[in-house]
Amino acid sequence: MKEARRYKSGLIPSLNPLGFNVERWSYTLHRATGVILIGYLAAHIFETFQLGAGSAAWANTMAALHSLGPFEMVGLWVVAGSALYHGANGIRLILNEMFGKLMGKPILPVYPYSPTSLGRNQRVAVWTITGTVLALWVWAGFYLLAGLGIV
Amino acid sequence: MKESWSMVVTYFSDVVLVFVLTFHLLLQSPLTGKALDETLSFANATGNLVYYKIVFGLLLLTAVVHGLNGVRVIALEWLHPKTMGWLLNLTVVALMAFFLSLGTYTLIVVG
Repeated sequence: MKEARRYKSGLIPSLNPLGFNVERWSYTLHRATGVILIGYLAAHIFETFQLGAGSAAWANTMAALHSLGPFEMVGLWVVAGSALYHGANGIRLILNEMFGKLMGKPILPVYPYSPTSLGRNQRVAVWTITGTVLALWVWAGFYLLAGLGIV
Repeated sequence: MKESWSMVVTYFSDVVLVFVLTFHLLLQSPLTGKALDETLSFANATGNLVYYKIVFGLLLLTAVVHGLNGVRVIALEWLHPKTMGWLLNLTVVALMAFFLSLGTYTLIVVG
């Protein structure tokens, strides 16, 4: 009963990856990072638009961003992490969905169900992406947050 | 356009984005030998747009198309495609046109 409620609980709880496999975690992270990136893209287009208005307008824009204090660099760090994860996971999804790679061969669905798409190759890919992205994100953190005295 | 085609556009723009965005981030990175503040200066920012306007144009196009199509795909799970799909598609196309115009204007004026 509890499980049935969980699967019929609607869209917002369906984004909750707690208690699910790594594929579900990567699905949720892909969505969340995508939303962060589209928000940043819109702001970034408005920001660079100021370049066309001349150096004074650009200086004002930079001053407004600097007035955010540490949130400016922390925000950029979050965006950097989102871009790294979304890009790397996106390549994995293309290999999965467009070329059928990293997935096992289809088998008859016999109880207890064991999806071949969540086999060893898929798990290795997810964890390799996670490790690489985390390493690059830490490196980006040293670069972006160094001036804040955080690192 | 069929949904399968919109996914092909998403996949293709993803691959292009990985390359052009990496290039864009490398231009802002310490590998250029410049400090972060220096990479954000007016001279450096406009210089990059002038020298690499084709790369930035491609980045603008792929990022806007990929990003807003992604928003559409997420929103389609929340809205009923038959009753709200047309409104969603119209809104996304209008937003694409708006952001592409804004970015193209910047590239033309600065370049």
